[in-house]
Amino acid sequence: MSSDRRPWTFFVLATLFTLFVIFLYGPMISILILSFQGPNGSLSFPLRDPSLMWFGEVFNPSRVGDVPGAFSRSFPLSIIVMLLTVLISVTAGFGFRRHFRGSTLIFYTAIASLIVPGLVLSIGVLVTARFLGVSANWYTTGLGAHLSWTLPFGLLIMFAVLGRLNPSYEEAAYDLGASKWQTVKEVVVPIVFPGMIAVALFGFTLSYDEFPRSWLTIGTKNTLPLEIWTMTTNVTSPSLYALGAITTGISFLVIGAALGSIYLIQRKRAGL
Amino acid sequence: MNATIDDTNTAPNTAPNTAAKTAHASGSGEIRLVNLSMSFGATKAVNEVNLTIPHGSYCCMIGPSGCGKTTILRMVAGHETPTSGEVFIGDTMVVGQPPVNRGTAMMFQSYALFPHLSILDNVAFYLKMRSVAKDDRRRQARAMLERVQLDHLHDRMPAQLSGGQQQRVALARALITNPKVLLLDEPLSALDEFLRLQMRGELKGLQSELGITFLHVTHTQPEAIALADMVVVMDNGTIEQAGTARDIFDKPRTPYVARFMGAQNVLTGTVDNKSGTTVVLKTASGEALEVPGDRVNASVGEAVSVSIRRDLIAVHRAETGSTGDVNTIEGVVEATEYQGNFVKIGVIVKGVETFVANVSDQAYFAEPVIPGDKVRVSWNIDAVHVLAKVDAGNEGSPYGV
Repeated sequence: MSSDRRPWTFFVLATLFTLFVIFLYGPMISILILSFQGPNGSLSFPLRDPSLMWFGEVFNPSRVGDVPGAFSRSFPLSIIVMLLTVLISVTAGFGFRRHFRGSTLIFYTAIASLIVPGLVLSIGVLVTARFLGVSANWYTTGLGAHLSWTLPFGLLIMFAVLGRLNPSYEEAAYDLGASKWQTVKEVVVPIVFPGMIAVALFGFTLSYDEFPRSWLTIGTKNTLPLEIWTMTTNVTSPSLYALGAITTGISFLVIGAALGSIYLIQRKRAGL
Repeated sequence: MNATIDDTNTAPNTAPNTAAKTAHASGSGEIRLVNLSMSFGATKAVNEVNLTIPHGSYCCMIGPSGCGKTTILRMVAGHETPTSGEVFIGDTMVVGQPPVNRGTAMMFQSYALFPHLSILDNVAFYLKMRSVAKDDRRRQARAMLERVQLDHLHDRMPAQLSGGQQQRVALARALITNPKVLLLDEPLSALDEFLRLQMRGELKGLQSELGITFLHVTHTQPEAIALADMVVVMDNGTIEQAGTARDIFDKPRTPYVARFMGAQNVLTGTVDNKSGTTVVLKTASGEALEVPGDRVNASVGEAVSVSIRRDLIAVHRAETGSTGDVNTIEGVVEATEYQGNFVKIGVIVKGVETFVANVSDQAYFAEPVIPGDKVRVSWNIDAVHVLAKVDAGNEGSPYGV
């Protein structure tokens, strides 16, 4: 009997896992296929006379919603959320390393905020902003609402990353005459940099496709997820799918860039 | 609780009296700990320790985990601030000063090489922090790498090196600071047996070449014995004994040291008869132990503990020896372990912990014994070493209490 023959359980588990992956990506693949629908095609299968016409339609504000305008708000918002999430999570992560009095309570409070329903939070932000006399805009209330969602995630990741950082590195730097600032700049940040990229990635993607917390907080002009939601109620052409394909593509690009840079850093460290 | 022992009282041949010390060269790497204590909450990790480690010596601190040896090392290094007491390096009280000002450098247990820097930049790190120009610091770092025979690997990343190579990089990175004192935290524990012995030799060679003080924390007895000019045995935050490796091994002061160093059997008896050149002790189970009279100060009726080295004990089958001899105990062989040049024989003796004899292989195979045999263990009166402290149990025993 050959030793490299796989047991029957392998095939069962492989099938199960394949089904799981199809389950995860199936809906997205359907959208992607239908975005190439022809001029006479409907919103559902089958695909007739494949074309790229609906992709062109996306950028035509008269026919569908104002996609370029929504993107011009969503993209900067996500970038700002990303930068602030990295900055705040990393500095907070360093602060929590010192185990100050009450740090555990603050940590759990920060994490527990994740259970607040997004729509309710959206109302809360709007009401509070009205009370304070702040007008609702993507760069004011919208930004705040998004940060309330991304910061706990960023904090959790930084905890995991800094928790694995061996304190000997900092001690070794101190032993070799580095100041506190030099230790952060020359040793700690370079070592935890892949973790910082992960935080940035989360910050960006969570903000980019956030719906509930954007609902009432972004003011009169929509971000991309709200624009798409509006379109589902009044646009009845496959351009909806084309838009879905484009935004998903952008998300994948961002994720790819982030993972790619982490990979390159690890590769360099392994000296390859 | 063990009493604090000041090595200047207990080990006169290792360090001069601290009070008599007045002046040092500015570059002296003498380490002096004065009433040094460190508490973590209610736990006293280090308790009123006094110790002087002479300049240029190789000192090994040994003890079970949690005995305070690493805490002392870290207090000398400046990575831990003592609760009370003082640390002097040369003539300077260094508590509160950063490591670089102390003239110490530390080699960490896990080496703590910076994973994002090449080994050249790891070694040059200290110079970079001092704003030495790039070309200059790289040249110096390469010279240091050459010294540890790793110059050919200078552009590698730490993850690409073997354990032994990583250790050499850590050594080079510490030595480039030109320290008076090198602190080593269990430096050999991550290496396999073969490399450990090789690196052990290299450390010793480097220390005598540099002439600076090495303070090396270990939990391995043979390592301490092989390397150290001065061995410090610790337990429960206090120093049990500080002295030369030979003293620690051959003339342990306490039952703890005798057992912990792993080479001695400890017996306790009360002084029964004190006449002339020999003193007779009676053990709890009635055996008579003869001890040279000049080694015992206790009077009749007082308890005395003695230790006998494993390799100075003879083992014979019970039927071949004559009964009722002094310095002879009967027991049953528990286990034998062939070690090549000797055989380790464990003997169960009533009223005593397992008695261990290391018998030369010739002697053993001339009269082999197997587990279950009744044997008589005996030793010469000169082999009996009197301990300064009466045994209070199995302290320091590898078999536990």
